[in-house]
Amino acid sequence: MLETVTQSIITGVMMGIIYALIALGLSIVFGVMNVVNFAHGDFVMLSMYLSYVAGTVLVWDAVATPLITVPFLFVFGVVTYYLLLDRTLRHLYVVQLAITVGLQILMRSAALIIWKAQPRALQYSFIQGSFEVGGINILTSRLAAAAVSLLFIGAIAYFLNKTWAGTGMRAASDDLDAASLMGVNYHRTYALTFGIGAALTAVAGGLLMSFQQTDPVGGVRFGLLSWCVLALAGLGSLPGLIISGIIVGVAETFAITFFDPRARLLAVYLIFILVLWLKPRGLFGRR
Amino acid sequence: MDNQPMLKVTDLTKKFGSLVAVNQVNMEICRGEIAGLIGPNGAGKTTFFNSITGIYRPDGGKVIFKGVDISSFLPHKICKLGMSRTFQVSRAFVHMSVEDTVRVGAYNRTTEKTVGAKVEQVIELCELGEIRKRVCSDLGLASLRKVELARALATQPDLLLLDEAGAGLNTTELASFMELIKKLNQEYGITFCVVEHIMQMVMGLCHHIFVLDSGELIASGSPSQITRDQRVIEAYLGKRAVPC
Amino acid sequence: MKAQPFYKRLPIALLLVILAAALVPLAFRSNQYAMVLVTTVLLFAVLASAWNIIGGMAGQLDLAVGAYVGLGAFTAGTLLIRWNITPWLGMIVGGFVATGFAVLIGFPLFGFKIKEVWYALTSSALVEVLRVIFLMWNEVGGPTEVYLPAGTNPWYSLRFNTYTPYFYIMLVLLILVIYLNHRIRNSRLGYSLLALGEDEDAVEVLGVNSQAAKLKALMIYAFISGVVGGLYACIYGFLHPSFFSTAMSTEIAILGIVGGMGITYGPLIAAIFLVSFREFLRASLGGQLEGLYLVVYAVLLILIAMFQPRGIAPLVYRGYQKVLALIGWRRHGQPADAQSH
Repeated sequence: MLETVTQSIITGVMMGIIYALIALGLSIVFGVMNVVNFAHGDFVMLSMYLSYVAGTVLVWDAVATPLITVPFLFVFGVVTYYLLLDRTLRHLYVVQLAITVGLQILMRSAALIIWKAQPRALQYSFIQGSFEVGGINILTSRLAAAAVSLLFIGAIAYFLNKTWAGTGMRAASDDLDAASLMGVNYHRTYALTFGIGAALTAVAGGLLMSFQQTDPVGGVRFGLLSWCVLALAGLGSLPGLIISGIIVGVAETFAITFFDPRARLLAVYLIFILVLWLKPRGLFGRR
Repeated sequence: MDNQPMLKVTDLTKKFGSLVAVNQVNMEICRGEIAGLIGPNGAGKTTFFNSITGIYRPDGGKVIFKGVDISSFLPHKICKLGMSRTFQVSRAFVHMSVEDTVRVGAYNRTTEKTVGAKVEQVIELCELGEIRKRVCSDLGLASLRKVELARALATQPDLLLLDEAGAGLNTTELASFMELIKKLNQEYGITFCVVEHIMQMVMGLCHHIFVLDSGELIASGSPSQITRDQRVIEAYLGKRAVPC
Repeated sequence: MKAQPFYKRLPIALLLVILAAALVPLAFRSNQYAMVLVTTVLLFAVLASAWNIIGGMAGQLDLAVGAYVGLGAFTAGTLLIRWNITPWLGMIVGGFVATGFAVLIGFPLFGFKIKEVWYALTSSALVEVLRVIFLMWNEVGGPTEVYLPAGTNPWYSLRFNTYTPYFYIMLVLLILVIYLNHRIRNSRLGYSLLALGEDEDAVEVLGVNSQAAKLKALMIYAFISGVVGGLYACIYGFLHPSFFSTAMSTEIAILGIVGGMGITYGPLIAAIFLVSFREFLRASLGGQLEGLYLVVYAVLLILIAMFQPRGIAPLVYRGYQKVLALIGWRRHGQPADAQSH
């Protein structure tokens, strides 16, 4: 029994770190632009499908696919921003939400039409396989994915704190008008932000494809996961995001192991609701 | 004036992170008074207003209105008790008509049956009859100010807080605005607290003036006392006085 | 906001429209497919008009109508199956169940100064969560369809062989909901909601309890949706977790937004055009490509949100007139248009 619990925790922690990376994209966009991208989960889904395409057509390893999918998603994010969001920044909030909802439906339906309903997976990855540590079975790909996620989260933290573009993003999130007076072109900053948010999903997507499959409604799952992590973490704390990701990951894994695999989302949703009921600013939120 | 002040603020404090915007401010406003709150930009006047009307939660101190401790009340509850306010930056209901805007406020203390009459009364009082059907986004500043006043008035307040309601008005508009406030105060017995930069308005209207600087109350007294107070002159009046 | 001027001017026209609608089944008596279509249009129109209260008036992007419909359906259906309680009653109970759930979600999320996005997200996920719950809940649902008994008296168990009775029930419901919309618009709740959408801070200092107002709107809408859910179960004749449909939830929201947020007749007009269009696509393309209608819906939503987003009442009304003109629908004599500027 203890072994099962420990196994679940370990797996949950690894998944949680990956979820934190996915949520990071959402968090940056929300923090800087005050927009919650309803389609964020579907960005993950899209990146996973693109990885699948790259993996089958180019016969690349899943872990190599981000080399293509990351730039692609970045551009996709920037284009989406300019096309849909740039003009509507000053509109009613509900309207902005509605647009991202429309985007979500669009992406989901398009995926359904293009790739049909059956799940797709990639054949083989060099990080496939698993190993044992003290009775715990660890999937190499999952471990690698978690490690890379951690790396990227760290890289983003560095970027936000130490580079001009990153500082610009932080400034824009605090005070838009002051930032633009200081030469920060907030349109470009927003586009960059959105692009990065999308690109991060591509990293996670590629990594996930090494041990998971993708389907058109994956967006629902990843969406709920990222919103839940975001709500739990609040804004402004990267370590908080990682911890929240881990909490959600462990909760999901526990639900799968001890309750019912179909109930994975329920645990996440329960956390989501509880957080909103009790601590709307999140556990680690700065604002 | 009453024995018990209508509004009694004790040691009110509001912080934003490490910035102390309002620092242990004490204030008393008596029934029937027109009180003034002045101070340089950034002195914390609007934050003060926000903290006593429930938009911000005070970090310290107490706000007692008509004998009730409203420090932790939500804004709508405070309004129901009888305190209303206008906003410094116009927060009109942009897509609604003047009439409908007033009506929203009027519902505060009326029923479906009596709300219409209240709306009529307020529109007449504030001379909004001509523009009553116009949409707020179409209005000029002077009219907008009147609409915001009317809207707050419709809630039938005992205490009305005006946040820089005179800003941007020309001399004639200002004069008629001041007349309206005097009328509301004298004929209808409404107590006022007015935040202003326009000295003409403050000196001409207020019975009692409070001066805020960097979040602290630095002076309190009658208009003539304030103009002679050294600290006030240093902090504010000396550089900014508009000849009356 | 007063009711649209043309409403006051043309009450006779309204009666004629209702009469015409009531005669529709006679025209389509032989064509069962057409009856299904118009009944579906009415059903979506009722839901979208109810959505108008939470979406158009209260300004909340609610994506949970599927949750309330599903709850209503399962409540009424289970009551009929287990204890032979007539769906007439079951619908009402379903409405209350749905309302209860709605309050559970809405209460914390409508608090002062909580961003609207959290409600939108929570509501969207609620549908899927309920679907999974009912998928696993074998006593009441489970993955296979649970059939409703036909019973001896069709009017008792609300199980008919044709769509005609359902059509009339829906029509009555639609008239009631639209009338409700109208009454709310001109009441304290309506004014409060409208102003809420403009500026929540400003409206609170005017004595409006924003949380209570939003909750009231939510409860009314959820109740109606639950009732419709009960009917839904009767029309389909079975219960299935797929009733908790995310697709339907987003569709209803789209109908509400595209039709014109807060405009009383907007959702009805949108339902007539968009639902018919969807059925047309389904009939002509069929199979996989039927997902295409969602693409069209989505694009429409995005376009409307981007280019005619101007909030509530008059401006949306104006945009709504433009949309009508675009579709080629001309209403005669609009002196109201000249007045409102």
